[in-house]
Amino acid sequence: MALELLALVKHDCPTCELLLPALDSAAFAGAPLRVLSQSAPAETAELVQRLSLHSPVEVDDGLEVSARFDPDAVPAVMLLEDGEERGRVEGLHLERLEELFERADAKLPPDGLPAIKPGCASRTRDPDVAARLAARRARADGRLTSRELELGALEDPFDALFERGLTDGLPVVPPTPERVVAMLEHSARDPREVVGVVPPYDGEATVEKVAINAVMAGAPPETLPIILAAVDAACEESFALHGLVATTHPAGPTIVVSGPLAAEAGMNAAGNCLGQGNRANLTIGRALQLVVRNVGGGKPRVEDRSAHGQMGKLGSCFAELPDGMPWEPLSVARGLAPDETGVTLMATEAPRLIVDQLARDPEGLCASLALALESVAHPKIRLAFDALLLVGPEHGRVFAEAGWGRERVLDELFERTTTPASELMRGAGGSPEGVDPQYVSDPQMAVAKFAAPDRILLAYAGGDAGLFSMVFGSWAAGEIGSAPVTRSVNPWL
Amino acid sequence: MLDPTAERDPSGRPLATERLRPGEPARIALLDIRKPRGDVFLDELQRLLSQRGHAVVRCAKPTFTKPAPADVRKEIAEQCDAVIEALAD
Amino acid sequence: MSCGLRDVLSFETAGKPAALVASSVFAETAAHQSAALGQPELRRSFVAHPVQDRTDEELRELAGGIVDELLIALG
Repeated sequence: MALELLALVKHDCPTCELLLPALDSAAFAGAPLRVLSQSAPAETAELVQRLSLHSPVEVDDGLEVSARFDPDAVPAVMLLEDGEERGRVEGLHLERLEELFERADAKLPPDGLPAIKPGCASRTRDPDVAARLAARRARADGRLTSRELELGALEDPFDALFERGLTDGLPVVPPTPERVVAMLEHSARDPREVVGVVPPYDGEATVEKVAINAVMAGAPPETLPIILAAVDAACEESFALHGLVATTHPAGPTIVVSGPLAAEAGMNAAGNCLGQGNRANLTIGRALQLVVRNVGGGKPRVEDRSAHGQMGKLGSCFAELPDGMPWEPLSVARGLAPDETGVTLMATEAPRLIVDQLARDPEGLCASLALALESVAHPKIRLAFDALLLVGPEHGRVFAEAGWGRERVLDELFERTTTPASELMRGAGGSPEGVDPQYVSDPQMAVAKFAAPDRILLAYAGGDAGLFSMVFGSWAAGEIGSAPVTRSVNPWL
Repeated sequence: MLDPTAERDPSGRPLATERLRPGEPARIALLDIRKPRGDVFLDELQRLLSQRGHAVVRCAKPTFTKPAPADVRKEIAEQCDAVIEALAD
Repeated sequence: MSCGLRDVLSFETAGKPAALVASSVFAETAAHQSAALGQPELRRSFVAHPVQDRTDEELRELAGGIVDELLIALG
């Protein structure tokens, strides 16, 4: 039953300087006392010399002992029995300190000491230090298992990441252990848990790997649950991510976030929601693509054979606007509960504008929207593509005022995007593209553009001024291609 | 900085040891990935392989955008000695 | 093409010699991917690009030009 006293001090703390001579006398008189300094060796030596201390003051190397006891303030004196803490005093409380010393069969000389003097913040409370210690703890606990990138002594971290092919062409935030640990704080999941397996090389996207890429994307940590749900959705087999990465088509994954967490995570569902300026929108999309490139291994012009690509492949993500939505959110239409937040992933090309500044009734508006929808990929190519139709608020109001819900709008659009086969056949209109004549028994037969009304995904977002909607044509759809996937976002996971 | 990749170290994956022997007839699967025009190419391959004394089994995978599904792979493994997959463009 | 290479690897691993026929534009990618998959020797044969707008007769000629190479690859 060995009793010991352990004192933690630092050099720029007047309270520590007051107490140190008393601690020194106690030690000199035989008290079982160790004094450790949180300051660097040079500052510690200067302190010892200035106060003319006789007994040694050790340096708490790497703040390991401080991290273990984690005091808010120094001076902090702990009573240990066989190494286990049995009591502590933080700051200078003379009476309590005297009691603590008595329990260790020692005496603290009280002369010249005030009854009470508050201490100063322990160095473990320094944000930088705390972050470093948290990262070290995470590594020791096995929560961080990724290897460290080896950098040359003179290598700039930003350039290093470019050179190693780990960016999307824009600079990324260096994924230090401290930043990754801070990101991981926003999910209760085990960092080693596998969220999805990413093609083409079957890389395992663990929560930790997703967090690393999320840091690189510059994502605010509160978006991590959304990013995790997006990675999960992308790795779903029916999404056909392998094909999407490798295709010559320009498509990439577009993420539509519906539900309360979107606003909480700082997403933009209003003006310029598809443009620059909003950190959450841009970085959620970017984080997903960085996971796809870095964990999956698909690189441009190697595995990724996209002929042109498009800017959405940097990241394509927006939130649905709850206010004024003429119908239920996309997540609810696809099976989630109204109070859930969902991500819906669809493989799409870049968005294209649909203008209609004159339609005041839903039929007229649908006529315009249908013209744009019909021209997805090529007007004469039918059934092979789906579409994501993003209705803006001024257009949405036309539907809301007429009481047209999602199904009504989609049925109308489906009807209006049918055209007689004669106009669609190869050669019609001078274009060799189109429907193969061997499948046309009757030139008057109506051929639908889309395989079904619900193959048009209807979303709602945008600024409140501007009679515009946007259409995103899909990548290859249906069984031979990609199907949209919806996943619930758990705010704690 | 932490490594954002999957840290895969692809270990050597061995090729099949039992391979076709010259002059010996075999059962060869022709796996159509279902891209347009592939069938014409495969029809001709079938004709030429039969001419050379091999038996040909035609199969197809549902889409070129995903790896061959388990049932197709199983059928080939059970019925054939080798497989040619075509035509990727 | 990329899914095709995965298939070839999967067949070979299961003990069946396999070969992929692809358009010549994929030659370099296929080499890179095979290496990344851990087996640089994955069998692949190439026909001259393009394929889509060939006549039937041209496609048959392409097949004729490659059949013996394929049999060697499977051997």
